[in-house]
Amino acid sequence: MISDKPFLLKRLFAVSFLLILLLIVTILLGISIGSTGNEFKTIFQLLSGERAVDPMREAIIREIRFPRVILAALVGATLSLGGLVFQVLLRNPLAEPYILGISGGSAVGAIIGILMGLSRFPGVGFTAFAGSAATLLLIVLMSSGQSILKKDSLLLSGVMINAFCSAIIMFLVSMTQDARLHNIIFWLMGDLSMSDIRQVVILAATLLPCFLILFLLSHSMNLLLMGKEMAQTMGVNTRLVTMTLLVVTSFMVSATVSHCGLLGFVGLVIPHGLRLVLGPDHRVLVPSCVLGGGTYMILCDLLARVLPEHGEIPVGVITAMIGAPIFIFLLKRSRQ
Amino acid sequence: MAVDIKNISYYYGDNPVLKNLSFSVREGDFFIIIGPNGSGKTTLMNAVSGILNCQEGRVKIFGRSLQSYNRKDLAKTIAFVPQMFPDDFPFSVTEMVLMGRSPHLGIFGLEKEEDIKLAKQAMHFTEVKHLAYRKLNQLSGGERQRVFIARAICQEPQVILLDEPTASLDLAHQVKTMDLMDRLKREKGITIIMVSHDLNLAAMYGDRLLLLNRGQAVSLGLPQEVLTLHRLEATYGCRLLVDESPLGKFPRITLVPQKHDKRLGVRDKG
Amino acid sequence: MHKIVIFLKVIVIFLMFILLTSLSVGARQVADQLGRKVILSDDPQRVVSLAPSITEIIFALGQEHRLKGATRFSDFPPEAISLPKVGSYVQLDLEKIVVLKPDLCIAIKDGNPRQTVVRLESLEFPVYVVDPRNLEAVMETILEIGDLLKATENAEDLVSNMRLRINRVRSAAEKISHRPDVFFQIGISPIVSVGTNTFIHELIVLAGGNNLTEGPIQYPRFSREQVLSLAPDVFIITSMARGEVFKRVKIEWSRWSEMPAIKNRRIFLVDSNLFDRPTPRLVDGLEVLGRLIHPEL
Repeated sequence: MISDKPFLLKRLFAVSFLLILLLIVTILLGISIGSTGNEFKTIFQLLSGERAVDPMREAIIREIRFPRVILAALVGATLSLGGLVFQVLLRNPLAEPYILGISGGSAVGAIIGILMGLSRFPGVGFTAFAGSAATLLLIVLMSSGQSILKKDSLLLSGVMINAFCSAIIMFLVSMTQDARLHNIIFWLMGDLSMSDIRQVVILAATLLPCFLILFLLSHSMNLLLMGKEMAQTMGVNTRLVTMTLLVVTSFMVSATVSHCGLLGFVGLVIPHGLRLVLGPDHRVLVPSCVLGGGTYMILCDLLARVLPEHGEIPVGVITAMIGAPIFIFLLKRSRQ
Repeated sequence: MAVDIKNISYYYGDNPVLKNLSFSVREGDFFIIIGPNGSGKTTLMNAVSGILNCQEGRVKIFGRSLQSYNRKDLAKTIAFVPQMFPDDFPFSVTEMVLMGRSPHLGIFGLEKEEDIKLAKQAMHFTEVKHLAYRKLNQLSGGERQRVFIARAICQEPQVILLDEPTASLDLAHQVKTMDLMDRLKREKGITIIMVSHDLNLAAMYGDRLLLLNRGQAVSLGLPQEVLTLHRLEATYGCRLLVDESPLGKFPRITLVPQKHDKRLGVRDKG
Repeated sequence: MHKIVIFLKVIVIFLMFILLTSLSVGARQVADQLGRKVILSDDPQRVVSLAPSITEIIFALGQEHRLKGATRFSDFPPEAISLPKVGSYVQLDLEKIVVLKPDLCIAIKDGNPRQTVVRLESLEFPVYVVDPRNLEAVMETILEIGDLLKATENAEDLVSNMRLRINRVRSAAEKISHRPDVFFQIGISPIVSVGTNTFIHELIVLAGGNNLTEGPIQYPRFSREQVLSLAPDVFIITSMARGEVFKRVKIEWSRWSEMPAIKNRRIFLVDSNLFDRPTPRLVDGLEVLGRLIHPEL
């Protein structure tokens, strides 16, 4: 029968502990492996506090690999969590973090920034963020005729805006012939290689409070699945919670996209995959998406760097190629 | 007074759904609201539970105006049992019942031992304990209804609102649900406010009935006072037979099909 | 007494000055073509080239012994292929650059990601950026790189040779008043040609031709109709693809026998490497164009 002990708390701790362990191992793996060779020994030396480490190798790990791995973790966490929240907000299993026009708006903003010749940071990052803020505002205005809480109107507005922005993007791309085309394509495919440690720290400082807020709202997310009126009768300030979820999630996804372009598929497969394994309780899913999504992205980025002989495969390719089969496998298992 | 309604009106756009309605519900009452479709029953429930704000009039719960309650306090006072529920609700029975504790939980929304104990008791009371680990969408209508009630009990409310709880249930489950409500009233002193389309159930269980038609109160009082032949035929617009139930001193309402109409031609005996 | 003190102070200051200058021997500060201040070694021994054109120039100056790494498509001269690779010029591999411990990186404005240059500098690797937009700027660049790599004489020789050949073609072409209409196709599908702000345009004009597609758009697109209505006298196709593609394209255009270039069989394929890289080979390209546009010379 059901025990009296608070089983959720235990489960939360157990799952989190496991995932944190996995994350740490993956981070170590990520900073040990790179295009100039594997540094397991150096990492070991660094961790055990030895002084006699080749400063150049240390510089590569500290300045190039470590920021990239942390960025991958932050991006994976944000996109997974974003997908999870939008799936609740819009009551739609196909919802993913870009669905409310964020991908379209930020892409248009980024391309304009690149064409203007701005540098990645802060220039293009800023124009990308401005683009997604503009589309979000547009969507809110468009769907505020009907109640904004009516999920279908939000969804439809988002889809329309994304479609419109896609057209603009295709137009801009077709008109660009010079080397900036490369910059644009890399941005659209998602690019984790551009940030240094300072930018990553700033990004982390903006994202971690968002994660915390969303964790505090995870119980309300459970209740929202009952329907907005029911949730209200159980003490949830539905309007406030919904607006907060919308704003915080859009903000954190936009901030992430401004740093590294449009990395796709993560926000769809991780929440669903975790839900199949861990169940529907968001108090467990929120931390799991953060930790699990981060781990997944680091691994995908690692493969993207390591598999090809020259250069890198775009990370988005790896996330889709690995994510889709895993997801289908989990889906089949859950049906049995 | 558990619930005191004064002169409330609710408009859907320009369309008045509730018109200048006033009534009160005594603490510990089994209060049943009846009336034909479109009479405003569901809107009334939503107004009492705080889901809808009436444009005119005021609602008082235990002497305090509805607006003065913050959401959590209101949830600890009134619990709502819905008629319909989303199909895609992925949680198990236990998880659902535990959600009833949410107005009592802290900032992280994590349950403690006492919460789980209360949930167990509620599931025992509503006889759904054996379904603890089943998914909600795998249950029958009647079982699901009892789970909703268990969840409502976990809110530790003083008033439970139910919107047509027996509408799609079979006979056994109808009686079970109504008996459950009766027990809650008698054993825990909870005020029950229910909307029902079933006049006979209302007659059997209700302490007091409110007959609603087109957003206005037609009659309020004991079942035998409210359920009179003329009044019912006028409200519902069909031929009826009203007599006293063999089970007790409350009315029994029978529909009169056309084929039986001319042959009987019987009138109310008082 | 007073004078001795002053004298001593002057000596001290003088000695400090010498000390400071001796300390900074081996380093110099220059301004690159974007006006950025770059502090680098006097005698760079570990140079990394961040673009194929720069690799070519370094080899042309005979300074390949200083070169420790280059981008992936640095394929000319063939010896460059064996150099350690640092990614492609639009997607540089920061790690591979760092591991070579360069004391000078030479980057190109159009193409190298700005962010990577910024990060290299923050990791204390000097980056000298060049911007060879036209022939004159290419020659400037050769001289500047020559100066950086202590090959000033080689650079001056190379550039004066280039100027000689350019002038030869230019003056020969100037003798003829008629400028044939040239259509220069750089893209097969869609059909893309060259505007005013390109090397190819410069070369066409120097070689005595008229670039039919000159204008503000750097790489304008055309439909087949538009090309036909331009009625070029000379049709030049450049493609990085193999000969079969050229044959097919030539056959496709040859259907339009009214086009002067087709009628007079003046449709040619040229090696794109001579026309799109800002290197000394542009002069080779110029000479090729000269022969194609004015074969009579």
